[in-house]
Amino acid sequence: MIAALPWLLSSGYWRGILVICAMNVLLALALNLVMGYTGQLNLGQSAFYAIGAYVSTLLVRSLHWNFWVASLAAVVAAGFLGLALAAFAARLRGHYLAIASLGFAVITYQVLVNWESVTEGVRGLYGIAPPVRGTVALFYLVAGIALVVYALMDNLVRSPVGDTLRAIREDEVSAASLGVNGAIWKAFAFGVGAAIAGLAGCFYPGFVGTLVPDAFNIVESFTMLAMVIVGGMGTMIGPVIGAVVLTFLPELLRGFGELRLMIYGVALTLVVLFLPGGIASCFKRRA
Amino acid sequence: MSDLAALVVQQSLNGVYLGCLYVMVALGLTLIYGVLNQINFAHADFVTVGAFTAFFAATRFATKVLGLPDAAGYLLSIIAATGMGAVLGLAINAAVFAPLRERGDELRPLIATIGVSVLLENAQLALFGPIPYQFDSPFARETIRIGRVFFSAQSLLVVLISAASIGALYAFLRFTFLGKALRAVAQDRETAGLMGINQGLLIGLTIVIASALAGMAGALLGPVLVLSPFAGASVIVKAFAIVIIGGFGNMQGTIIAGILVGIIEAFTVQYLGSGLIDLVVFVLLLAMLVVRPTGLIAERKEENV
Amino acid sequence: MKFASKLALGCAIAVASFVSVAQDRVVRIGVAMPISGPGSYFGVMDKEGIELALEQLKSGVNGYKLQVQYEDSACSPLQATNAVKRMLDQFKPHIVIGEECSDASLAIAPILNDAKVVQLNVGSVTMKLTESGYKYTFRIFPNAEQQSAPLVKVARGVLKAQTAVILHEKTNAGNDNAEGFKKPFEAQGGKVLADIDFGRDVNDFTAIATRIASLGKVDVLPTFALEGQQVRLAQALAQAKIVKGGGGNAVQIGSIWLPYGFDQKAGEAAQGYVRIVQFDPSEKRKVVQDFVKAFKAKYGQDKVPTHINAHAYDAILLIAEAVRRGAHDSESIRDAFSKFKDVEVTTGRITFDAKGQTSDLSVVHFVQTQPDLSWKALSWQ
Repeated sequence: MIAALPWLLSSGYWRGILVICAMNVLLALALNLVMGYTGQLNLGQSAFYAIGAYVSTLLVRSLHWNFWVASLAAVVAAGFLGLALAAFAARLRGHYLAIASLGFAVITYQVLVNWESVTEGVRGLYGIAPPVRGTVALFYLVAGIALVVYALMDNLVRSPVGDTLRAIREDEVSAASLGVNGAIWKAFAFGVGAAIAGLAGCFYPGFVGTLVPDAFNIVESFTMLAMVIVGGMGTMIGPVIGAVVLTFLPELLRGFGELRLMIYGVALTLVVLFLPGGIASCFKRRA
Repeated sequence: MSDLAALVVQQSLNGVYLGCLYVMVALGLTLIYGVLNQINFAHADFVTVGAFTAFFAATRFATKVLGLPDAAGYLLSIIAATGMGAVLGLAINAAVFAPLRERGDELRPLIATIGVSVLLENAQLALFGPIPYQFDSPFARETIRIGRVFFSAQSLLVVLISAASIGALYAFLRFTFLGKALRAVAQDRETAGLMGINQGLLIGLTIVIASALAGMAGALLGPVLVLSPFAGASVIVKAFAIVIIGGFGNMQGTIIAGILVGIIEAFTVQYLGSGLIDLVVFVLLLAMLVVRPTGLIAERKEENV
Repeated sequence: MKFASKLALGCAIAVASFVSVAQDRVVRIGVAMPISGPGSYFGVMDKEGIELALEQLKSGVNGYKLQVQYEDSACSPLQATNAVKRMLDQFKPHIVIGEECSDASLAIAPILNDAKVVQLNVGSVTMKLTESGYKYTFRIFPNAEQQSAPLVKVARGVLKAQTAVILHEKTNAGNDNAEGFKKPFEAQGGKVLADIDFGRDVNDFTAIATRIASLGKVDVLPTFALEGQQVRLAQALAQAKIVKGGGGNAVQIGSIWLPYGFDQKAGEAAQGYVRIVQFDPSEKRKVVQDFVKAFKAKYGQDKVPTHINAHAYDAILLIAEAVRRGAHDSESIRDAFSKFKDVEVTTGRITFDAKGQTSDLSVVHFVQTQPDLSWKALSWQ
C-alpha cells in the first residue's frame, strides 16, 4: 500500500513531501527509542541528523567515496557521538539531561557554522546529487529503509533488551538494584538512536540539493519531539503516526499562511495536556 | 591609563551591560525552577513577546497616539512589556503548570512548555512576519564618556533597571510575608503546605513575577537583538547555560553567572570572533555539568529515591 | 438546420481554440526574491521595480504577455532551493530572476541550469556564480572583483590608506568581497589589521567596535553587510570614536550593498562613508530620467528609486528586449541574451561575456556621504 503512494500523488511537490515524511519517520523512531522506551529526555537529535548529513556529503565530495560507504561511515560517526552524549547522560537526570543534550545540539550546530574550511558554514554546499535519481525512487529507498528499521526495532523492544530499557525508564535506581547496568544500556539506546538519526541525515542533502547548517537548528529537535509525543511515546506505531500527521498537516494547511506552523505547538501542548499517550493511545483503548 | 587597561575596562563594561540583560532573562527561569522544579521552555518566547510589545508600544502607541517624546515612550514601553509578561505568566500557569502540577510527572510539563514555545513562536511569525524590526531606543544614541571608556545611556539604563529590579526582588523575598512564604514553598513544598500556605497561589505568583521579568528583559533587549519571532531562540540557550552554571534555583549564582557570561562574550569577540560566542559558552556549560553539576554556588539538593 | 448548427459549433470551437492559443503566447517569468528575513528590503524594492516595468509593458511585447510569479527565497540557500523547486514544478517559468543574496543564487544555479531554465541575476556579487560554468546563468551586476578592485584603488590612491580593518558578514557575498579587497590591498603595500566577520544574528557591535579601537591607527574600514547591520555597525563605530562621523579618523568604504536611505537611518555616523553605486537618480540619460519620473508617478513624488529598484526594472526590460527580438522560451531567451551588445538600461549598457557576466562599468561611480547626509559624486579613478 505504501508502494502505491507516490502514484496517488502525481505532483513532484507532493512526492517530495512523501520523502520528507519517510525521513521524519526514521527520526521519530530514533527519538522514540531513547525517550519512549528508555525514558531519557534527549533534545540533541538534531545534532546526529546533522552529522549524518554532513559527514556523508563531505566524504562523497572531498574524498570521492561511494555514497553507501560514506553513509555507513556517517551512521557510525553519529552513533559514536550518541555514545559521547550518553557519557554525559550517565550522571544526569531529567532537566539537566534535557539541557545538556540541547547544549550538545547547539555546539554541533556552532561547529558546523564556524568550521568553514570543512563545512563551508552558512555559505552552504550545493549541487548535491541524490543516491538515486528521481523523487519516486528516492521515496522507495527511504521508505524501504524506514520499514526495515521499524521491523528491527519492533523485534528489539519485544525482546529482553526492550524489557531492560523499559525498566530503566520506569525507575533507574530500582533497576540498578536488580543488576541492570543503567549506564551501558543508556549508552546503547543513545547510540542506536543517534545512528538512526544519522541514517536519515544521509538522504537529506541529496533530496534538497543544498546543505546548510540552518536545516539542523535546535528547532528540529523540538519538531521531532512533537512527532513522538503527538503520535504516542513508547509505542512502535506512535512515532510513525506522529511523523505522518505532522508532516502532512502543515502542508494541507498551507492555505492558512504562516498560522499553519502553529500546528506543531498546538498539537504538542494539547496532546501533553489532554492525551498523554498520544494518538496511538486512542487505538489502544478501543482494543 | 595604559592601552591594555583601557581595553580591558571597556570590554568589561560592555560585558557587564550584556550580562545584566542575560541575568534579567535567566532570573525568571531560575525563580520558576526554584519554586516548581520545572523549566519553562517558553520563557525565551515571553522575552520575545515582551520585546515586540515594547516595540509597538514605543513606536506606534506612545509617540503617535499619546504624543510622548521618544525617551518617555521607551520607558513606557518597558512597563507595557513587563505587564504583558505577567499576563503570559498567568496564562501559562493556568493552562499548563497548575493542571499538571498534581500529577508529579517531571517531564510532561516541560514538554508542554516546549509546545507553548513553538506555538508562541509561530503565532508571532503569523502576526509580525519573519522580517526583523529595527528597534531603536532613544537612549542608545547618547554616549557617556569617562576618561577613555564610554558607554551608551542605554547600557546605563539597563544596568540601573536590572539592579533596581533585583534589589526589589530581594527585598520582597526577604522582608515581606509573601516573600518569606515563597521561600518556604521553594525549600519544601509539602511542609509549607502543612503550615497553611496556599501553594497554588504562591506558585502562580512566582510564575507571574518571573514572566514579568522576562517581559521587561525583552523591552531592554529589543535594541540589542535582531527583533524577529526567532529572537528568543538566540537568548534561551544562553539563559539555560547561565542557570546551570549558576545553579538551578539559586538567585545569587544566576546573577554571577549571567554577568560572567556577558563578560566572556565581550572578550570572546575581542580575541576570537563573534561567531564563537555560543560555542565558548556551551563548552563552558558542558564542562560545568561534568565538573560541578550543582553550579557555581552549590546548593544541596537531594534526589528522592 | 443540423448542418448549420454543426458548422456554427465548429466555428465556435475553432475561434475558441484560436483565442486560447493566442492566450498561450505568454512568457513566464519567475522571481525568487527575499520577501522575508534580513534581506527583505531587497524583495520589496525588487517588486516595485518589476511592477513598474510590467505596467509599462502591459499591452504585451511582440504578441507575448509577460507573466510574473513571485516566490520568497528569504536570502537563504535552503529557502531559495525550495522556492525554485516549487516554482519549477507548479509555474514552469521560462526564466527566473534570482536571487539577490549570493548564497541563495549559488544554491539555485545548479537547479535552474539542470532544468535548462535561464537564470538572470541582478544583485549577487560572488565570483562563483559566473566562474562555475553555468550556461544558463546571466548577471547584470558587477562581481566581487569588479567591485573591490576600484575600491582598493580609491583606498590607496585617493584616501591614502595604509591600514584597513575589513568587516563583513559570513556569507559568500561578504567573504568574496573581503577577499577581493584584501588581496589587491596587501599587494599594493597596504596592511589589513584585522578581518572581522559576523553572522546575521549579531545586532550589538559595541564589543566589535571596542576591538577595532584597540588595534591602533585604522585608515579605512571596508564594510560588507546588509543594511540593518550596517546601521548598527556605523553607529557603534561612531560611538567608539573610530570613524569621522564620531570624531575619529577612519573612513568606512563599501561596494554596492546599501540602498539610498541608509545614510538617513544611520544618521551622522554615516558621514564620510565612501561607496560604489551603480545607479544615480540624477544621471542625465533619458532612460534613467524616464524611469525616475515613472517611479515617482507610481509610488509617490517623495520616493527616490534605489539601485535595487533599478536593477529589477532593468531585468524586465532585458527580458522584454529578448522577446522583442523573437525569443519566447528558455532556449531562445538564452540565445538572445548571449547576443546582446550594448543594450541600454538604467544601470548601464549590457553586453554579456562568454560566462554570462556583464562587464560594463560605465555607470558605476563613487559617492561620499556629506555632513548633511547627501551624496557627493567622486571620479571613478
